[in-house]
Amino acid sequence: MPSNPGEVALEIDSPTESPRASSEFEEVSYPTWSQPRAEEELPLHYMGEDKARRRVKGAQAAPESTVMFDADSPAEYDQGDDGGKDVYAKLRQHQTPVSRMRRTSAPPTSVSEFIQQNLEHLPPAIYTLLSCWTRFHDIGKSPYVVWDEAHFGKFGSHYLKREFYFDVHPPLGKMLVGLAGLLSGYNGNYEFKSGEQYPDDVPFVAMRVMLATFGVAMVPLGWYTAVELGMSRRACHLVALMVLCDVAWLAISRFILLDSMLLFFTFLTVYCLTKFNNQQHEPFSFDWWTWLSFTGLSIGMVCSVKWIGLFVTALVGVYTIEDLWEKFGDLKMPVRTYIRHWVARAGCLIGLPIIVYLISFKLHFLILNHSGPGDAQMSSLFQAHLVGNDFSRSPLEAAYGSRVTLKNMGWGGGLLHSHVQTYPVGSSQQQVTCYHYKDENNDWVFLPRWEEPEYNPNGELQFVKHGDVLRLSHFSTGRNMHSHAIPAPVTKTAYEVSGYGNQTIGDSHDYWMVEVVDDIRRGHRNNFETIHTLTTRLRFKHWKLGCYLRAANAVLPQWGFKQIEVSCEKEDNPRDEHTYWNIESHINDRLPPAEITHIRSPFFRDFWHLNVAMMTSNNALIPDPDKEDILASKPFDWPWLHLGLRMCGWGDNQTKYYLLGTPVIWWSGTASLGISLVVFVVYLLRMQRKYVDFAPGEWDHFLYVGKIALFGWCFHYLPFLIMGRVTYVHHYLPALYFSVLMVAHLIDHFFLSARSLSERTKWAVFAFCVISIVGTFWWFRGVAFGIDGPINDHKGLGWRKSWNIYSL
Amino acid sequence: MERPTGSRRRRGYGGIDAPSNVSTSARSSDSEDLPTEHSQRAGATIIPPSPWNLHNYAIVTVMTIIAFGLRFYKLNHPDQVAFDEVHFGKFASYYITGEYYFDVHPPFAKLLLGLAGWFVGYDGSFEFETIGDSYTAAHVPYVGLRALPAFLGSLTVPLVYMIMLESGYPTLVAAFSTVLILLDNGHIGQTRLILLDAQLIFFVTLSLYTYVKFRKVRYLEFTPVWWGWLCATGVALACSLGCKMVGLFTFFTIGTAVLVDLWEVLDVRKEGHTMDYFYKHFIARTVGLIILPAIVYLSFFWVHFALLPKSGTGDAFMSPAFQETLRNNELLMNSQEIRYYDTITIKHKETKVFLHSHPEQYPLRYDDGRVSSQGQQVTGYNHDDVNNHWIVVPTKALPETGRGRIVRHEDIIQLTHVATDTKLLTHDVASPLMPTNTEFTTVSHDEARGDRYNDTLFQVQIDDADPGQAWKSKSGHFKLIHMPTRVALWTHPKPLPEWAFKQQEINGNKKVHEKSNIWYVNEVVAVEGGGEDVRNRTGQVATKEPSKMNFFKKFAELQFLMLQHNAGLTAHHPYASSPLNWPFLLSGISFWTDNEKEEQVYLIGNIVGWWTCVMALSIYTGVIAADLLARRRGTYPIPYTVRNRLWNNAGFFFIAWAFHYFPFYLMNRQLFLHHYLPAHVASALAAGAVYDFIFSELNNFPISYPGPKTRARRPTRSDIFKVPAAITLTILTVLMFAMFLFIAPLTYGTPTLTGEAVNRRRLLSSWTLHFAAKKTTMD
Repeated sequence: MPSNPGEVALEIDSPTESPRASSEFEEVSYPTWSQPRAEEELPLHYMGEDKARRRVKGAQAAPESTVMFDADSPAEYDQGDDGGKDVYAKLRQHQTPVSRMRRTSAPPTSVSEFIQQNLEHLPPAIYTLLSCWTRFHDIGKSPYVVWDEAHFGKFGSHYLKREFYFDVHPPLGKMLVGLAGLLSGYNGNYEFKSGEQYPDDVPFVAMRVMLATFGVAMVPLGWYTAVELGMSRRACHLVALMVLCDVAWLAISRFILLDSMLLFFTFLTVYCLTKFNNQQHEPFSFDWWTWLSFTGLSIGMVCSVKWIGLFVTALVGVYTIEDLWEKFGDLKMPVRTYIRHWVARAGCLIGLPIIVYLISFKLHFLILNHSGPGDAQMSSLFQAHLVGNDFSRSPLEAAYGSRVTLKNMGWGGGLLHSHVQTYPVGSSQQQVTCYHYKDENNDWVFLPRWEEPEYNPNGELQFVKHGDVLRLSHFSTGRNMHSHAIPAPVTKTAYEVSGYGNQTIGDSHDYWMVEVVDDIRRGHRNNFETIHTLTTRLRFKHWKLGCYLRAANAVLPQWGFKQIEVSCEKEDNPRDEHTYWNIESHINDRLPPAEITHIRSPFFRDFWHLNVAMMTSNNALIPDPDKEDILASKPFDWPWLHLGLRMCGWGDNQTKYYLLGTPVIWWSGTASLGISLVVFVVYLLRMQRKYVDFAPGEWDHFLYVGKIALFGWCFHYLPFLIMGRVTYVHHYLPALYFSVLMVAHLIDHFFLSARSLSERTKWAVFAFCVISIVGTFWWFRGVAFGIDGPINDHKGLGWRKSWNIYSL
Repeated sequence: MERPTGSRRRRGYGGIDAPSNVSTSARSSDSEDLPTEHSQRAGATIIPPSPWNLHNYAIVTVMTIIAFGLRFYKLNHPDQVAFDEVHFGKFASYYITGEYYFDVHPPFAKLLLGLAGWFVGYDGSFEFETIGDSYTAAHVPYVGLRALPAFLGSLTVPLVYMIMLESGYPTLVAAFSTVLILLDNGHIGQTRLILLDAQLIFFVTLSLYTYVKFRKVRYLEFTPVWWGWLCATGVALACSLGCKMVGLFTFFTIGTAVLVDLWEVLDVRKEGHTMDYFYKHFIARTVGLIILPAIVYLSFFWVHFALLPKSGTGDAFMSPAFQETLRNNELLMNSQEIRYYDTITIKHKETKVFLHSHPEQYPLRYDDGRVSSQGQQVTGYNHDDVNNHWIVVPTKALPETGRGRIVRHEDIIQLTHVATDTKLLTHDVASPLMPTNTEFTTVSHDEARGDRYNDTLFQVQIDDADPGQAWKSKSGHFKLIHMPTRVALWTHPKPLPEWAFKQQEINGNKKVHEKSNIWYVNEVVAVEGGGEDVRNRTGQVATKEPSKMNFFKKFAELQFLMLQHNAGLTAHHPYASSPLNWPFLLSGISFWTDNEKEEQVYLIGNIVGWWTCVMALSIYTGVIAADLLARRRGTYPIPYTVRNRLWNNAGFFFIAWAFHYFPFYLMNRQLFLHHYLPAHVASALAAGAVYDFIFSELNNFPISYPGPKTRARRPTRSDIFKVPAAITLTILTVLMFAMFLFIAPLTYGTPTLTGEAVNRRRLLSSWTLHFAAKKTTMD
């Protein structure tokens, strides 16, 4: 210890901040189950504390603890064990079933013994059955394409047809939809038009059931997570019941959507994390590795379903950083061990998820090997390899008079495009944009300068070369691509690019100089002269202004149909791929089609390209002030359940589904978050006044559960506040889970595990909670099970005026 | 940080030359007191020597004189309106003319400008219309107006010096921080014009100064001097907030420091810290730092309202009730009670169009295939014509004459279109543009009496009204709710196609509570029976006295509108920049240009100083992080007193910087470089602290005044390495001064620079200067 006086003072000053927290694990050689003797010695140290604070009236021994300990431990273990907040007791109690089964000797010899040994799994089993009933009950009631089934059903079909499509979400969830379709015998030929009735040959019920299975699994996951968080038995029941009884979770799980998978993997990640936390006393053991890598795998999967998964990743990240910070302060831990901790986490929590994410994209590319609606999002070389693509038959060398489409080679780049609409700002000339779908407006023709003789379709064929100055004429409108010293609409520092003039009108601002960068096949530009389709990388330099044609994923406002802005960049940056273009399709009757095999674009290139394109489209999903989106809602509306969402048409004859949470669950969840902060501050203040409310270790555990819930909620909610994109109420569903955990945690802390309350009071509180949860669920079950007949006949559902559940 | 060790270097364990037995009685890390064995009660305490001595006075005087010189130099140039003088000059004039205006900033800074204007005899007649308007031509005493910001801007310089000196830093360090502000082109440029920032920066700096002073007398709790500095802090805070809402960040800064302070007071281990003692402290802070500032802040508004009794440009922002408190307000003059059978025109509050109808009908089928009722079109039209006239028809029996004929809140009425003699109605047919909303049309009287009767019924819901309140023209903002379908009369700026002459669509909005449903009666065109003068119907005289309104209501309304409009300032501005650019000076603001003389004022900081500050902040973060990591590993590399100063004092400056900087990232409004200036002052203070950390091993310690209970301690003196520190300071000053001179033509707008000279001054490619020499044309 240092001799510096000030430091000593500090040590005394902060006893609450316990640097011993993590080192305890190190100091104590923890018992293994094969060595009951060692175990008997160890807990005594802790039991003193345990007994001190576990003055529970009418101790109820948790059934499984009896089972667990009757073989190898003295009676004092289950004495007054309320399943409370002691980490160490929990660690023992909730040793993974795997390890316990592996290490306890006797396999069950009779059914009753089997039941005895697995009694703790009885409640979750019952909940799972109940969950099956709620999720599957009448699941095919509405034989129509409900809500976003129109999207995700269609995406699933694309996998069955193996056609390349584009969407803003990563592929895993949609591949599972496709898998569900495959397993249920769907042939992939249905369009999934919104609101349409399913034809007989689409096994939509089977598909819904398969996807609802993910929703079923949420309930047992909720239960086991609560168990791992060390909640009392009754609090576990509350968590399971709330997960079971929330009608929003229920409704969203019953259709062909990605949300049930997203929720499932989110729950799974939290479960794995808590499970891993409980292995912390035995670092680098088999179970420790198992749960660490499971956490990583489920992170990978949740992120491969929707990018929202990054939020739960952030929770795991913060947990890990705190954990490593704790270990950093453990002076007894050898540096090598500490480094091993880092490496293990980097490998399992960063490496594994990335591998899972990559694999999902690899599968995506492998399955979708046919040309489809999403082609234009990808690079030209990628498209050339899709079955049904005709690039390889276009002429090889570009000449004057060639009709071409030009593809931007930057990440996420699109096709150079123009349409008759004009810029509402700047020059008011015709818009030139970058567009991700193929149509005739993407076609441009290479034409000579005004001073030169007009292009003669019958004259000598003249190839375009490096350094040529030419005009780019838009095929369908005849305008010439033009630039002038007017700032571009979004990137103000660059010049605007527009369509100007026609076949006869124009000026020298229409001239562009072709600069060849290189050719992917032929190498440096000195090696060749003519420009090849697909492989030659070009830049277009404005002859007059010296700027470069560029498209860099800046999205135009609604007047530009959210297409990508094309501008002329003043600064010459020869490495900027957003100024690189290649010829994608090429039509010239005077040239023979080239039968060539193309170079395959590498996987990582395609992967990154697709991800940037997804990011760009995601950012383009901003709320449109001109268009009222009745479905969208603001994040502030969610915690208090301000709005619901009609998932389908609201006619009297339709089965109506309304996406609305169970009010008690949502409201109590939100309230509990606020209360938790108050409670935290009050406890801190009391500590500063030296009130002892917690036994050692108890405060840490109280904080641990609270942090999981609070940080989890914040990470899943707050980002939406600053996100520019349009948000819907179902974006709150992952966050809701953490508020549910917080409710259970606080009720557990103040009532169910409270020392001062009698067993009767606890039962009363518990019963009250159960009745209100189940009662409201039953009251609102219709919104998820489907409401038939005129909605206004169903009284009592409009608890808030802002809900548009009733038609006017 | 490792430097050659000299004999005076004493870093590391036991580094300070305190007696070794200190540790035995050390009690607390957060207190500065290091009690010694010779602890004695008051009387034996050693009073910390005052930081002020003759050469300090000399330095601060010289610096202040230089500051005044630099800020007042050529204050008359440019003699034209520059940048936001357009706004703030105008607002200052309004205080002199007494015309009500609206601005997003609180009034205090503008009140000061108005005061300066009044003082120099300005009559408030100049319009400040556009940037570049000449002052001299209009004989505006603009130099007097500019003198106030320049004066406060100059005074900020000695304040910075005093903050550093009072914080216990040696003269060299105080000079270091001061030079960073003294020679900064950004501060000079911003504080020479009629703007609010000079006032804001001065009061923000003053708040930091008063809080440092307060902190130093904390052992003399509840004495007059203690109360004095506490209240001074509160007043300075209120003044900062009164200048701009940015002052809120200063509140957060001081608030954080106060919370840390109170946390220590709460500590049960300290002698005599009972809960009563804590409550006393808590209440004192509440009074001094919340209640007092609130009173001061409100008083600014009181003065604001008192000085602006007349109708002016700001009327239209305010509610009708507010407007009626202004003399000669249009509402006040023209507001009339509406009676049944009066002919009126109705205007939409947001888009200012009249409710209009004409004989043309809706086309049977729209482009998207939906069908209409083919009824007469009802549209929104922004010109006054007879097709905008509507008669209010009662649905109940009326008395022959008198006040019974007045239309009241929640009355159910019909509206007759005068020109076509038809009745307004809406029904369950989708509107032309929005399938979700209902179509408005008119029907003949026969139909309106027949089975369409119910569809012609509308309820007048006057906004914020009491039951039975009369419906008034101009002031009576109302919603017109359709009785059977409960939709509200609504319009939106999207025009209808050619068949409706591109007029605005009118439709029924199901979201009844939206603000955009509000309309008002623009005019009572003719009254029932005709002939009678509308004005005199009620027998009132034409000139009305302004009505009274509760001050707090007025304040609440204005404050809310300020915040709302502030958040709404999202329009693009060519010189707006994102906060990330600011500390590195990536872009400036063009304040003013003169195309004839090719002169320009370009707001940009002194790049030497700003980058020094950025470096200092990163060093600080690095040191703190290294300290945390080292302590986590059980090593304690920084001596106690140094660490105490580094965490508490430099930390205070650092959070001041952070609080005045990072919240801008969360703002969506347009942001400018000058928003960083308060944070820049804080970063200059932090830079001084870092400079001290680098060059000295020990601090002046203690610096707080001992109280009756504090124990005696042996003071330490700063052992700053004078020579290297002085050399560094000299180099910095010379560089700063050179850079200042170099950029000065952009700051002062004179002398004229050649194109090449402008190019040379474009130190970063992102600076957008005018009159740059063109590059030779390409190709």
